[in-house]
Amino acid sequence: MGIKETALAGTLESSDIQITLSEGSGIDIDLDSSVEALYGDQIKKVITDTLNKYGITDAKVKAVDKGALDCVVKARTMAVAQRALGTTEEPNWEVL
Amino acid sequence: MEERLRRTMMFVPGNNSGMVKDAGVYGADSIMFDLEDSVSMDQKDAARILVYEALQTQDYGNAELVVRVNGIDSPFFRSDVFAMVKAGIQVIRLPKVESAQMMKDLVSTIEEAEKKFGIKVGTTHVMAAIESARGVMKCLEIAESSDRMIGLALSAEDYTTDMKTHRYPDGAELEFARNMILHAARAAGIAAFDTVFTNMNDIDGFMCETKHIHQLGFDGKSLVNPRQIDMVNSVFVPTKKEIENALDVEAAIEEAKTKGSGVISMNGQMVDRPVVLRAQRVMRLAKASHLINEEGEYIEE
Amino acid sequence: MEVNEINIAIPHYRRKWQSFMEINGITEFSPNEVDTIEKTFLWDEDGDRAATGSIAGNVIKYVAVCSKYKEGGALFNKVVSYLMQQAAQMGRFHLFVFTKPKYVQSFEYVGFKKLAVSETGAILETGVPGVTEYIEKLPHFEGKNGAIVMNANPFTLGHRRLVEVASAKNDHVYVFVVKNDVSLFTYEERIELVKQGVQDLKNVTVVSGDDYIISPATFPAYFLKSDQEIGTYQARLDAILFKDQIAKPLGITTRYLGKEPYSKTTDSYNHELLGILPPEVNVEIIDRKTADDKIISATKVRQAILDDDQALLHEFLPETTMEFVKNNYPNLKEKLIEKGSK
Repeated sequence: MGIKETALAGTLESSDIQITLSEGSGIDIDLDSSVEALYGDQIKKVITDTLNKYGITDAKVKAVDKGALDCVVKARTMAVAQRALGTTEEPNWEVL
Repeated sequence: MEERLRRTMMFVPGNNSGMVKDAGVYGADSIMFDLEDSVSMDQKDAARILVYEALQTQDYGNAELVVRVNGIDSPFFRSDVFAMVKAGIQVIRLPKVESAQMMKDLVSTIEEAEKKFGIKVGTTHVMAAIESARGVMKCLEIAESSDRMIGLALSAEDYTTDMKTHRYPDGAELEFARNMILHAARAAGIAAFDTVFTNMNDIDGFMCETKHIHQLGFDGKSLVNPRQIDMVNSVFVPTKKEIENALDVEAAIEEAKTKGSGVISMNGQMVDRPVVLRAQRVMRLAKASHLINEEGEYIEE
Repeated sequence: MEVNEINIAIPHYRRKWQSFMEINGITEFSPNEVDTIEKTFLWDEDGDRAATGSIAGNVIKYVAVCSKYKEGGALFNKVVSYLMQQAAQMGRFHLFVFTKPKYVQSFEYVGFKKLAVSETGAILETGVPGVTEYIEKLPHFEGKNGAIVMNANPFTLGHRRLVEVASAKNDHVYVFVVKNDVSLFTYEERIELVKQGVQDLKNVTVVSGDDYIISPATFPAYFLKSDQEIGTYQARLDAILFKDQIAKPLGITTRYLGKEPYSKTTDSYNHELLGILPPEVNVEIIDRKTADDKIISATKVRQAILDDDQALLHEFLPETTMEFVKNNYPNLKEKLIEKGSK
């Protein structure tokens, strides 16, 4: 499944990650992170797994990481997924 | 209500991942994640999820975990409550409370969420922020609105605006509200939290205010900056005399136990319940201030 | 730290905002810079102004952070982040910034990618779709590729001549049409007339310049000092952007320009391109086509529409454009009168 509209979540402040979701085919992640060499794969995995939980399998992801923990990566991915699907005020409790 | 220290309740803006992540390291007695005023309208959803995830994964030690949800009339209220109950939050703080009914409405939403997520009904506690003249006048009914209540908090910014004044260094404008809230809390057997002090540069003013609310009998103070935690704790450190007296009471309790006596006596006088409770509170404060060693003895300076 | 949206059309806020910009070294507030601003935000700490930033279309503009907060860049990151969130609310996910070269690093730190940097200015972008996606979507050709950039307001026989020359000398020719809508003819009309006008030339592809061919009319330059040459700054960045981001990935080896004997601006623009594009991209300046000894130009065409000069229109325009002008004559003339003959 793809997304309904382009969306952005998260910030560029320290310990956060800013994620933009736009139309694409497959999950294609462009990650900009100072710890990419060490944790790039882990960050991408968290993003991909989280999107999959929302049933999103086709999206282009742009992520600018400022040292976010996994739980922050997950939270921002969830926020952007809900925004891209237009379901922010009817959260998917099964995914949370 | 569970007896615990609530000297400091640190506000953490709910959409600030750095602060949400580090909230546990400063040693606040309570951490209050804020989904309300510190989060802009368009980021309510993101903050809710961020706090939810942090609660699932972060270690906040022994701190009591509180979330300030958006107001009961806001479109975010229901999702906030559901998400926080699911995350297993200990206390939900409702802003701008003006009646017992508002707390009852909060409790019924919590109960709905507890049932939905298979959580034992009654697990999630609540507290009320008093931010208006009406709230102050209704303190007692609010404090007694539910057996889930753990405390009342004064929120001075909105309150002073409602009172057509603003904050002054001597705090005279808050005196009535402080006393009302404190009395209602004590009458209901719950905690009373004083308001935040926002001018970071006025350390003397902050210390002065903290000493004052300590003297009145407040359990603690709300904070916006972790630097204020040690300052508040220093005010709440019990005196040597208080600690020694508490140790005497403990010894008397111990003695009564070994004798198998139901009556605790000290210096030939009976020790009644309020004295025991106060001694227990002093001991908790003394331990938190590292004035008691592992053997339970007072550490001389 | 609090952030508020302010309306700089209101004098009180305008003064507050402008004086803060001035303290921070930005002194250019000409209407064509300021009038494009849609949203302005001001951060303050205990009543003191700490930072500001604005959104103008898909451009982040007039960003300033009080020197007190510059250490570590935390407030700068907060400001940019906030502006991006606000832009996202407006449905804009692809943003540009035009700034001093010394701020390139700060913007790169928050995920912007530099498109062009000269000694006086820099262009960076962030978000999707970016230049990579733009280039990916264009057709790619092997062999010798040429390029022409035109506003085509409207497409004339002069443009046609330029395309013909390029077409004859190359295996393939890209014609980039400027997208910014500041012309008499709308972008859709202009690109359609170019397409119709070169339809018979099989090795010519007409494409949109999108956000990557920037019209000088909309090129932000507010951060330049008043003694700096705006034209040179624009031309150089434009040339670097074209060379690195467009010509290189598309394999374009020659860019064709029309000679402009009357306009000093265009002449110096061409001069800057000559200084930057070679050797990777050759520049060929082609003499303007003349009709009856008159040099064909779109400016004269617009004047002729205003003057009802049918003879000149017939001389200067290909049939396709002529047809369009005829069908839309009252409308075009009205627009010209409104704009004060632009």
